Amino acid sequence: MSEPLLSVSGLRVGFATEGGLVQAVDDVSFELAPGEVLAIVGESGSGKSVTAQTIVGLTRSPNARIEGSIRLGGEELIDAGPDQLRRVRGERVAMVFQDPMTSFNPVHRVGAQLTEAIRAHRPAMRGEEARRRAVELLGAVGLPDPELQVDRYPHELSGGMRQRAMIAMALMLEPEVLIADEPTTALDVTIQAQILELLRRLNRERGLATILITHDFGVVAELADRVLVMHEGKIVERGDLDDVFYASKDAYTRKLLGAVVRLDRAPPLRAARQEAPLLEVTDLVKHFPVRRGLLFDREVDRVRAVDGVSFSVARGETLGLVGESGSGKTTLSRTVLQLLAPTSGSVRFEGEEIAGLSRRRMRPLRGELQMVFQDPYGSLNPRKRVGQIVGEPLHVQGRASGAELRRQVQELLERVGLSPEHHDRYPHEFSGGQRQRIGIARALSLRPKLIVADEPVSALDVSIRAQILDLLSDLQEELGLAYVFVAHDIGVVRHVSDRIAVMHGGKIVEQGPADQVCERPADPYTKTLLAAVPIPDPRETRARRGSSAA
Amino acid sequence: MGRFVVHRLAGMVAVLFAVSVLAFLVFNVIPSSDPAQRMAGRNSTPQLVASITEEWGFDEPLPQQYLTMMGNILSGDVVSYANRENVDERIVEGIPATFSLCLGAAFLWLLFGVLFGYLSAVRAGGALDRALTVLAVTGISIPVFWLAAILLNYLSYQTGLFPSGGYVGLTEEPLEWAYHLILPWITLAVLQVGFYSRVLRSNMLDAMGEDYVRTARAKGLGERRVMTHHVLRNSLIPLVTLFGLDVGVLLAGAILIEGTFGLDGVGQYAFESLKGLDLPPIMAIVLFGAFFVVLCNTLADIAYAFLDPRVKLGGSAQ
Repeated sequence: MSEPLLSVSGLRVGFATEGGLVQAVDDVSFELAPGEVLAIVGESGSGKSVTAQTIVGLTRSPNARIEGSIRLGGEELIDAGPDQLRRVRGERVAMVFQDPMTSFNPVHRVGAQLTEAIRAHRPAMRGEEARRRAVELLGAVGLPDPELQVDRYPHELSGGMRQRAMIAMALMLEPEVLIADEPTTALDVTIQAQILELLRRLNRERGLATILITHDFGVVAELADRVLVMHEGKIVERGDLDDVFYASKDAYTRKLLGAVVRLDRAPPLRAARQEAPLLEVTDLVKHFPVRRGLLFDREVDRVRAVDGVSFSVARGETLGLVGESGSGKTTLSRTVLQLLAPTSGSVRFEGEEIAGLSRRRMRPLRGELQMVFQDPYGSLNPRKRVGQIVGEPLHVQGRASGAELRRQVQELLERVGLSPEHHDRYPHEFSGGQRQRIGIARALSLRPKLIVADEPVSALDVSIRAQILDLLSDLQEELGLAYVFVAHDIGVVRHVSDRIAVMHGGKIVEQGPADQVCERPADPYTKTLLAAVPIPDPRETRARRGSSAA
Repeated sequence: MGRFVVHRLAGMVAVLFAVSVLAFLVFNVIPSSDPAQRMAGRNSTPQLVASITEEWGFDEPLPQQYLTMMGNILSGDVVSYANRENVDERIVEGIPATFSLCLGAAFLWLLFGVLFGYLSAVRAGGALDRALTVLAVTGISIPVFWLAAILLNYLSYQTGLFPSGGYVGLTEEPLEWAYHLILPWITLAVLQVGFYSRVLRSNMLDAMGEDYVRTARAKGLGERRVMTHHVLRNSLIPLVTLFGLDVGVLLAGAILIEGTFGLDGVGQYAFESLKGLDLPPIMAIVLFGAFFVVLCNTLADIAYAFLDPRVKLGGSAQ
């Protein structure tokens, strides 16, 4: 092996908190060779991001304790002064972050943010030259019309374009090491495939050594040469890509790999259901008017968020609704539940038309139709106790109060795998997975027949994700629930659904039994979507890449 | 932009109408507000009151009286019930003092509010931050009239360093203008400096946790550039709204300060008119004030859209 470019040894990072010292990174050592892609994999809280950010001193703060050694080409960085660190940042080690929307400053133009690094490191370079370099790099990372994009603001670019611009920004000073911290997590799966391809190309063409931080084994299999698996601040497994996937020695790694929901593995077949549909949606349309006018608003255009959608869900059945961001899947689920008033079309629940019902007439039905939301942090009121959150629907609908309410809530908490003692705690005392259980308990409180789950597991770690999916499926079994399972991840959707509907541009482009849609897709968009899903299996990834190159 | 301005102008007309109707009604329902009775004096005869009522049209229906008054205010013919002075002329006379006081103080409080807020945020938790915090809270807590009295006593009456009041025209003697206004400016700015520095400090501390600040550091920018270009720049935006409101309100006169420092401005006139329950100037000043509040708000919104490219003026009807 050639001389390591970067060598980290005995790295320990601890943060002093009110509850004592939290050891985020605990004795981590690794080396990065020139031109190599090293993946650091782990769940949230594993210390992978802290490790990466500590390399360039971004975790320094008065309450951080950082020990060990970080050598970049022979230069020690762990105790480097601010000026020495500043010269390393951007110039030798560049970073790309998870969310390209929040990682750009919204009030400065893209071009200005790209050239800013040049101004800081090479004050002699003329502004015009710096701008030319920005345009050139924006073109190199695949942005159409780079000459135009350079003068736009970040919010004027799409998510994928923003992440490309972010990568171009990292390349401005031709760094030796690129640290990509979850670079595709916030992106749609088809965009993710493009960004991964770009990173692979940069690594190949420029020999850019890359540290890839991710939680997604599919992304690892696509890109990495070597893999480190982190758990609770420690490296629990290290090795070449294939060794980690096929011959892993560590129990946690095997558990993590086992928990990954794989698109290319068919779940056990579910019994087909042939009952009268519980929910029947016909030609549902939801348009948002765009109004403009000098004094009085006229409708000048409309956004066709949901544009003529029909589907049905039987009792005890799961319909998977897949689509990328902007496909209209969230608008559709809210319109079905009458949280948004449909523009036209019909929604029948148990044979009764509910489209256009007044709020008051909708109220008794609310208990039968419930929703579980994506963000287990934002969707629970932080100032209310768990008991109040879960019991509120019962209380509001006048179904229970006092001791009876408490008993019912505790029963619900047990049902979703929490303890009755959790009744008087606040949401912030729970982990993401537990909070999602609270959200599910709340949805269950009125004994619904149908639950619309909008991305219920996409904010959760892989191992937690599997637990929540199991919980949902157990509840379905016990209570005969029907689900509309809305998600962007077709792998997860296949795992839980009887039937799948694929949404694109406000329309359902394909629907059918889960196996059929995933194995024999008919629609070109479905095919693109399926092909873009990274498969957590390096051999298959290579085979797939080989066949697409041939 | 054009649509935005049109909407705001329409909104302004509505606000002015609502405010004037309200002021007019409130005046007419408070007891002992009968203007004829007041004009006739304490030892008046019923005949005199009746003839005044007749002459000034106080017996007409309220909507008619309201329309007459509004017409007079807008055409510049409105006169005071108390001394038959032309109200609009009197307001115009007060404008230089009031605007000088407000705009000068606004400049001071913005300058020092931003400076102290910035230093406080950059050195958060340190000795300087704590000192500035104590100072800011003190400034916010001090009653304006008390501060004015203290300043006058120590810096004017006892030491004679500054004049005790009065207004000198800016065009006549610029230096004297500033010299006479220093104490009122300081008095008015102290409260606002404390307020603005606290708001900016907390905005900046929030902004420091943003992803784009981490990106800026990862690019290898110097700490000062990160602070000014990324943290301060974004944290100033919400201050614009606050500043628009504050300036708008003060342009209609700072009643306490104008009185204490003998600045014969709009605020002082408002105070006198309120004491005498003199409806025409009250109505005119209320309209004058509402006009500037709406105007400054509109300007603040335009500035906001200019500072934050994500905001589109008139993008939605709300």
